[in-house]
Amino acid sequence: MALELLINGTTAQLEIDSNTPLLWVLRDHLTLTGSKYSCGIGLCGSCMVLIDDKPMQACQIKANQVVGKKITTIEGLAKESDHPILKAWYEIQVPQCGYCQSGQIIMAYALLKNSSNPTDDEIDQAMSKVLCRCGTYPRIRKAIHQAAEMMREKEASS
Amino acid sequence: MNCLDPDRRQFLKMSAATAGSALVLGISWTGSIESSEKVSPPFSPNAWLKIDTDGIVTIFIAESEMGQGSYTALAMMVAEELDAEWQKVRVEHASLDPAYGFQGTGGSRSVRRNWKTLRNAGAIARQMLLNAGSDYLNVAIDECQADKSRIIHTASAQSVSYAELVTGAAKLPIPTSITLKNPESYKLIGSSLPRLDLVEKLNGSARYGIDTKLPGMRYATIVQSPIFGGQVERFNASDIEKLPGVIDCFALDEGVVVVAKDTWQAFQARKALKIEWSEGKSTKLNSEDIIQTLVQHASLETNSLIFEKGEPLSQLKHPTNLVETQYNLPFQAHMTPEPMNCTVQIQQQRIKIWAPTQSPTNAKAAALAALKSLIAQPTQEEIDALEQRIEVITPLLGGGFGRRNLQDYVSQAVKIAHRIDQPVQLVWPRSEDLQHDYYHPLTQHRLQGVLDKQGMPQVWHHKITGLQADEYGAQTLPYSIPHIRVEMQRLDSPVPIGPWRSVSHHYNAFAIEHFFDELAVAGGHNPLHLRLRLLREPRLKAVLQIAAEAASWNKQSERRVLGCAVHSSFGSHVAEIVELVKDDNQAFRVGKITCVVDCGVAINPDTIKAQMEGSIIFALTAALKSRITLKNGKVEQSNFHDFPILSFKESPQIEVIVAKNHHDPGGAGEPGVPPLAPALANALLSAHGKPVKSLPVKFI
Repeated sequence: MALELLINGTTAQLEIDSNTPLLWVLRDHLTLTGSKYSCGIGLCGSCMVLIDDKPMQACQIKANQVVGKKITTIEGLAKESDHPILKAWYEIQVPQCGYCQSGQIIMAYALLKNSSNPTDDEIDQAMSKVLCRCGTYPRIRKAIHQAAEMMREKEASS
Repeated sequence: MNCLDPDRRQFLKMSAATAGSALVLGISWTGSIESSEKVSPPFSPNAWLKIDTDGIVTIFIAESEMGQGSYTALAMMVAEELDAEWQKVRVEHASLDPAYGFQGTGGSRSVRRNWKTLRNAGAIARQMLLNAGSDYLNVAIDECQADKSRIIHTASAQSVSYAELVTGAAKLPIPTSITLKNPESYKLIGSSLPRLDLVEKLNGSARYGIDTKLPGMRYATIVQSPIFGGQVERFNASDIEKLPGVIDCFALDEGVVVVAKDTWQAFQARKALKIEWSEGKSTKLNSEDIIQTLVQHASLETNSLIFEKGEPLSQLKHPTNLVETQYNLPFQAHMTPEPMNCTVQIQQQRIKIWAPTQSPTNAKAAALAALKSLIAQPTQEEIDALEQRIEVITPLLGGGFGRRNLQDYVSQAVKIAHRIDQPVQLVWPRSEDLQHDYYHPLTQHRLQGVLDKQGMPQVWHHKITGLQADEYGAQTLPYSIPHIRVEMQRLDSPVPIGPWRSVSHHYNAFAIEHFFDELAVAGGHNPLHLRLRLLREPRLKAVLQIAAEAASWNKQSERRVLGCAVHSSFGSHVAEIVELVKDDNQAFRVGKITCVVDCGVAINPDTIKAQMEGSIIFALTAALKSRITLKNGKVEQSNFHDFPILSFKESPQIEVIVAKNHHDPGGAGEPGVPPLAPALANALLSAHGKPVKSLPVKFI
């Protein structure tokens, strides 16, 4: 069945089973492999994407549920390569194996969009939805605080 | 079950026969199989580096990058002696090539085993560039120096770049002797340079094994016997083949395979499989039964003696002040974030394998064994031709922790590609990954200690009983105690066992370091002070002293309790201190964790810190949350809900101090794991007065 999805600002035409989870549409049909498969049942957050700017796990959404919605993956977000989150992630040297990091970055992006100066509790709430086996959590916390600061400075100076 | 049909077998034999003659193939240093048309790079005096005419330095890394930072640390070692400008350094994963020796990453060995080789490789190239540079500038070589990819003659204020010199340098003979730098003159080693693999890991373009995409590629998945060793009796192939997207469904020795047009269709069809299995090795086995077996064996006298000093047995006959304990530690799984997967393309000339593996050498061996199993009585010639065709490509690894030393997924993917005659990617769903791991073994530790009148330990007796247990980490004791006996009962396992981050150091350090505190408490000693008094290794003692100071050991209270532990492993010495703080509900939670590591010369201190942080969180997961259990022969856990790992909000604050010295480097990926669980248990012993007899301990 033909589906039209708006992904990272581009419309993709797809001849697929409309029940296919978005994760596999992205990975197998569009070769957008930045969103990762790890648990497949909405527990780990490695496949986090933005649907109309809200973070959602791509393994839990069917393709037909996101028709007409704005889908942003790590590839789309990273087009802003000078984004404070990416800069902070680099400066703090967050990733180790890196497999979950697109999920972490998407989640942090959504968090900071809603709250420019999140408390540790708010960070806990948001970031506990994405698991990291390498144990990069302490650095993620530092990077979020640093990104928030950079974003506030940017806002103040503009 | 044999999936080999006559046509496929013929293809394999034919292509094996033609491979050698169709193309001139040879092993060259830079590619596993390269055609003779290959153009030599401008300057490449050895297998580890090349410099192009644009000045870009490419360093070939023969260790797998699974997050531990070896791409960066190893490149720094070459670049240091090469005096390369760091901004011009690139890394490429080395091909599988005999020039690199055995390619397998594990045992926290990457830096250690390459320490001399890589510095030599860089120094040889620098010497040749110095020779070429002094010729070019027409000055005496001993008046020249190398810095930031240039040869400089200070007296005449002239210099020339490596880019300009590579063509000339390539014609010079390889020097037979070189001098390595004094550590005092290091420019790169010892600085926390940013990792070279991060840009791709931030923008989604990093390629892990599972991200491999090939034209016309099919997607496969597998169901293996839930009971270890069970064989497929029958399954509903005809139902499965009717499902959307399914291309093939068949059995291998390892289980039933579904091949489909995308991963989701393969996974959906997998769920619809109905399989009857023969009985396996672990039929009806429960974790409790294994523990009972260990208990029975622990009382036997048929142990292998690992270490003995003094007269421990006679001392134990009539002890006056005996302390005894027993600890049970469970199976653990690796839970790599990227599940097991492998992509294979079989072509006339080449068999290409994209394996996210810790050992390309072993992956090749597994692939060859799989292919051999598909041919009846292959000749040596056929085997050699097959071996020549196999090319292993190592993408990034989404975690390893030891799991990817095993190559089961590689041999499965090769068999599937051969059967369907199309490029294929095999992906194990999470449940398969968790239920078909090579587990960290279940072990039991019995310990006895005898104290003298001053409460000082006189006798130490440790008996390790476990499934394929190892003695590493317990062979000798880091403490001066007059009478010591360490023995082990190593039992066969019905469950696959494999290396798990820090291997036997994990369970042995728990037993030693927690029992040490039990003895200290029984003898009325402060565990920190007793350690400092009895530790034999000065470097281990030193890290403990620094940690105690950093964690303010002397500032403990009813609301702030500390536990410490030390352990030397993989050539490094680590002390960790766990802080427990009482919250408003009068319950303890983990506060800050302090870690001091002495791993000799610290190539990239920030990466070492990251490894300690990661090791602490990895170990904390095993100490607080995760375990694998068996019920009726099957692994009970299937995903993150029943094998939980530490989450962001559960992660403690961690302070890491990296010691500075010029000792040869030790490992970094694993030594941070062993001290954590005993330090936590020691803090709990101090807080509640009760030892921790088994893990995971539930208190958060």
